[in-house]
Amino acid sequence: ITESGNCSLVLCMDVGFSMSNSPPGEEPPFDQAKKVIQKFVQRQVFSESKDEMALVLFGTDATKNPLDQDGQYQHITVRRQLMAPDFELLEEIENHVRPESQQTDWLDALVVSMDLLQKGKYDRLNIVLLTDLSTQVSSDNLDVIIGNLGKLGITLQFLALKWYGDGDRRGSSRPGVGKGLSREQKQGLEMVRDIMLSLDEDEGLDQVYTFSEAIEQLFMFKHIERRPMAWPCQLTIGSSLSIRIVGYKAVTDEKLKKMWITVDAQTSKRDDVKRETVYCLDDDNETEVQKDDTIQGFRYGSDIVPFSKVDQEQMKYKHDGKCFAVLGFTKHDSIHRHLFMGSQTIKMFAPKDDEHAGVALSALIQALDKLNMVAIVRYAYDRRCNPQVGAAFPCIKQTYECLVYVQLPFMEDLRQFSFPSLENKKFTPSESQLAAVDSLIDSMMLVEEDENGQKEDMYKVHEIPNPAFQRLFQCLHHRAVNPGTPLPTMEQWLKDALERPSAISERCQAPLEEMKRKFPLKAVEKKKELKTGAQIFEPDAKKSKVDEEEEEFNLAKISEGNVTSVGSVDPARDFRSLINQKSLPFGEVCQQLTHRIEQLLSNRSTHYYMKCITCIQTFREQSVKLGNADLYNSYLQSLKKSIPNSGLQVFWDLLVQGMISLFIGGSRFSPT
Amino acid sequence: MAEWNAFYQNEEADEEQEEGEESAVNYKVTGRDSLVFLVDASKEMFIKGEDGEPSNFDITMQCVRSVYTSKIISSHRDLVALVFYGTEKSKNPRNSFKHVYVYHDLDEPGAKRVQDVEALRGERGARLAADTMGSGEVSLGDALWCCSNLYSDIKLRLSHKRLMIFTCMDQPHGGDSTKDRQARTKAGDLKETGVVIDLMHLMKPGGFDVSLFFCDIVSPPEDESELGLQVEPCGKLDDLQKRVQAKQQKKRAMARVNLCLGEGMNVAVGVYANAVTARKPSAIRLYRETNEPVHSKTRTFHTQTGSLLLPSETRKAQVYGNRQIVMEKDEVDTIKKFYDPEIFLIGFKPMEKLKLHHHIRPSVLLYPEEQQVTGSSCVFAALLKKCTEKKVFAVCRYTPRRNYPPRFVALVPQREEVDESNVQVTPPGFNAIFLPFADDIRKLDTPQFPTASDVQVDKMKEIITKMRFKYRSDAFENPVIQQHYRNLEALALDMLAPESIEDFIMPKVEQIDRRLGPLVDEFKELVYPASYNPDSKPAAKRKTADAGGGDEKKPKVEIPEAELRAHIKNGTLGKLTVPVLKEACKQFGIRTTGTKKQELMDALIAQMAK
Repeated sequence: ITESGNCSLVLCMDVGFSMSNSPPGEEPPFDQAKKVIQKFVQRQVFSESKDEMALVLFGTDATKNPLDQDGQYQHITVRRQLMAPDFELLEEIENHVRPESQQTDWLDALVVSMDLLQKGKYDRLNIVLLTDLSTQVSSDNLDVIIGNLGKLGITLQFLALKWYGDGDRRGSSRPGVGKGLSREQKQGLEMVRDIMLSLDEDEGLDQVYTFSEAIEQLFMFKHIERRPMAWPCQLTIGSSLSIRIVGYKAVTDEKLKKMWITVDAQTSKRDDVKRETVYCLDDDNETEVQKDDTIQGFRYGSDIVPFSKVDQEQMKYKHDGKCFAVLGFTKHDSIHRHLFMGSQTIKMFAPKDDEHAGVALSALIQALDKLNMVAIVRYAYDRRCNPQVGAAFPCIKQTYECLVYVQLPFMEDLRQFSFPSLENKKFTPSESQLAAVDSLIDSMMLVEEDENGQKEDMYKVHEIPNPAFQRLFQCLHHRAVNPGTPLPTMEQWLKDALERPSAISERCQAPLEEMKRKFPLKAVEKKKELKTGAQIFEPDAKKSKVDEEEEEFNLAKISEGNVTSVGSVDPARDFRSLINQKSLPFGEVCQQLTHRIEQLLSNRSTHYYMKCITCIQTFREQSVKLGNADLYNSYLQSLKKSIPNSGLQVFWDLLVQGMISLFIGGSRFSPT
Repeated sequence: MAEWNAFYQNEEADEEQEEGEESAVNYKVTGRDSLVFLVDASKEMFIKGEDGEPSNFDITMQCVRSVYTSKIISSHRDLVALVFYGTEKSKNPRNSFKHVYVYHDLDEPGAKRVQDVEALRGERGARLAADTMGSGEVSLGDALWCCSNLYSDIKLRLSHKRLMIFTCMDQPHGGDSTKDRQARTKAGDLKETGVVIDLMHLMKPGGFDVSLFFCDIVSPPEDESELGLQVEPCGKLDDLQKRVQAKQQKKRAMARVNLCLGEGMNVAVGVYANAVTARKPSAIRLYRETNEPVHSKTRTFHTQTGSLLLPSETRKAQVYGNRQIVMEKDEVDTIKKFYDPEIFLIGFKPMEKLKLHHHIRPSVLLYPEEQQVTGSSCVFAALLKKCTEKKVFAVCRYTPRRNYPPRFVALVPQREEVDESNVQVTPPGFNAIFLPFADDIRKLDTPQFPTASDVQVDKMKEIITKMRFKYRSDAFENPVIQQHYRNLEALALDMLAPESIEDFIMPKVEQIDRRLGPLVDEFKELVYPASYNPDSKPAAKRKTADAGGGDEKKPKVEIPEAELRAHIKNGTLGKLTVPVLKEACKQFGIRTTGTKKQELMDALIAQMAK
């Protein structure tokens, strides 16, 4: 309803008798209108808008307004004076806006609202009128009212129950519109038309909405709208060619400015909680030292170099400040999209009042576009910010031209990994597999041509509001209005917006089944992933803490005998408990054990050798117990064979000493 | 202006966080990475090329040096060692191996080590090497054995162990089969303990034949395909550095998630960073007396009682619409949870639908994880092939971790590319480009201007053509970081002044002027009238940020206490400007973190009410 820039606004709502009337099965206009203003105020509260807002109700049983005199302007109540919207206003709406039984001329209410706006502190003045237009209206002073609206520069927005269109606007597609209107409503609508068109001849009617249209638009919490900041600079090519430009951030990873604060659980007061940071030496007592007794240093590999702030400031890289200097030009396709850096793109225009700069910049943009090239530039926001290297792409739209600047990587930023080729016989898909993928893609195209050859995109990500913000506001609002109740579930419209469009889901069913048939996929049993997996996916910043907890947790598990695999701490015990649990097949447990033994042996240290011997003893003991000696014997045999080549003779000697009999099942093998 | 600054700070904080996540996870889970350079020091390595080209030994040392410095910058906790074999003299821990010279044992690289390697470069370096080590008999088996001792002497947990052999001799033992066998056995032992052995074979007259001996020494390539050994020997420093660079960094996945094509069709993929903004490392605090590092502890306690507060004794809150809204900590987490970690396929779009300016953060690369879900690579390869053919990208909903709200990504297919000598320059995979939400896009008023005429455009085309160059993403070093490390290097090594750096992102103005010659004036004549001067600023409406740091320049704006109290009493505090309010806060010793007018006013009112 409002655009960016601050304004003073009056919500003027009809709560009179006819607003509660509705055909059976339909929501009464009163309920719809109330929802509209609730959603609207909510949005204003969470966008921290500085707009001031007043609430005027008409059709009220009581009368409370400054113009109440001589029986004029009756049944109009100013519920709230102009001020910033807050939760009090929301509660006021929730609790005190209810259907009442009078009928009031909406033009009178309009006059009261105009009167309130005279005290507004902003230049932009706005009235939103919500009514079903069912009241008798005296049009005597209509011209004066229109004149005053124009004179004061007040914008009027009409939210009516229904709107009968003239076909060229919204009307045509809406069934039942304009039908079943009472005489008063028809007359009212005529008057609305007159007012709106006399205020703005061309687009006056665009400011007329139905309640349901308004609700639809207000469903989401307001997008973050930040006023673009101009960055005036000069694009330079060499020492003597410069073009004046102004940069605006066009796309950026928007974050909420507000952070969570920590409060005391009992009092909910922030001031009751204090955080303090102390510095300790790395000795056994963790001796505390004063902050003033510390200096700063940096790591240079294994060296730690004391480096004071003053020295650092003095020796650091310095530059001349604000800059947009061309280093050279290069082919468009030598810039890789996947190497864009930073979190924003900036659009560069010529300054509004400088036509010559406009032409010069246009020449550059056109030339780059025709040659399919881009400029590589040095960009520095100002003296305090580090300079960047980036690319300026030409961008030519129907209504404007500009350069689009994106940061590019420095050599130090690159991670030049190489990966095994996928052109590998093992992974090469067959013709029929490729055909399955082909039809899957076809069935899932989000952009399609309609009958007019127009390309229709059914999933525009850049029109979806950031779900993180939407969800946060929903929960905050809920908690503010309903303290003590659990948080609500996600709103359905948001859930839907993040899902695959239903048309696509239906269409891809069959191709997806075909994919499943053609490509066998099998999840590999995770071995020791339990811990690492959790860590990898654990976003918590306090990692060491988590780590400790996990560690403890695992220890606890082991001591409870709830072992899931043969670990390295006490493999023999793990092995024994796994056998007892019988949760894994014997062969697999043995494999895990021998794997551990190999690992331990690779350390080539006596300590580990002893551990391995214990493992082998346990292996033997359990094999005897279960009467299954094959695995044990064959492992031992292969171990014995590998001894001469692996330099483990010492270990073998120890093993032989430590065991009465190596192999199970008689004397086929001698223990040497 | 304030907003831009806020942005820069935000960006820094955020990215540090992201980066922190990446590296912290790694060390904890996997331990340290290690790399041993095993360099042939036999006579052949010191032979200079024709036309005075540097010897193989020389380029190897340059390469080692660059790895040392890059390790210091990017991963200083990795361990690196430098070992020579085929030397005359010996130096190793127990001196049990002849002709093996451990120049640096496994440790974090530091300033001293960089200097040591630097000293081995060039003409002087060759002489130094001859004096200290000399060239002698070659026994690769002994050398490898010695290296395996280096590994076993390390008490730290090592995650990734790599050994690189630099040599130009394809038959190091000259056909001595006993020595060959011994080397093979030792190599086998090393490989068994998880050491990956690479060969960085260098140019030699007559070509380097890997199949004669080294094919049994080195580790098989990861993918068991043809790639790897067929690589041509290196003759140039550039090539060698590229090869070493590609191998020395262990690939680390930022996350492993399922790419879900639909119900019951999950392909396992690893998520890798294509590029991460390198930053100056954060400072560490040292105790003034001893220069030893101190660590910090943060405690939360109750202001009234002074007792320490457990996490369970605090809650989280935000203020909106004049109301403080309180939540439990786990509620704050649940709000952020939407889905389990996954990449969920929404559908496909033609490539031209991917807008160039829809950029919000650096992209990541997806590569299949066959070890998690067998069959993944095949599906992945098929998708890659078909998306490339059909010129489409996939739109997916990406949840990288638990309790992380989703973002949408465009999966853009990237086919593998190799260079002339069969070295991979572009890995295969899908680049995931992050897409903006409605909130991330700003509405701009776009000024309209007449478009340039053909003559004007043609003149600019001439200028552009004169200034063409071939862009390479690794061509620009970050002058800020380089300067920082040069400074540290100078301090660490007690040098008089830091080595000067070259600022690669500074335009070479003179060169440009010379190249463009009269074109600049010709263009200016075409677009600017004689009276126009783009350098003269129009009446400056306000100070630019360049003037910056201007606290001392601003006149002090103090306000008498009585006046302030009057304002508070009359509710007219809002009439004062933000600088005045800030100054007033300072005046009365109020510490405010806020910069918003309302916050300052609230703080003042609270203080005055006391």
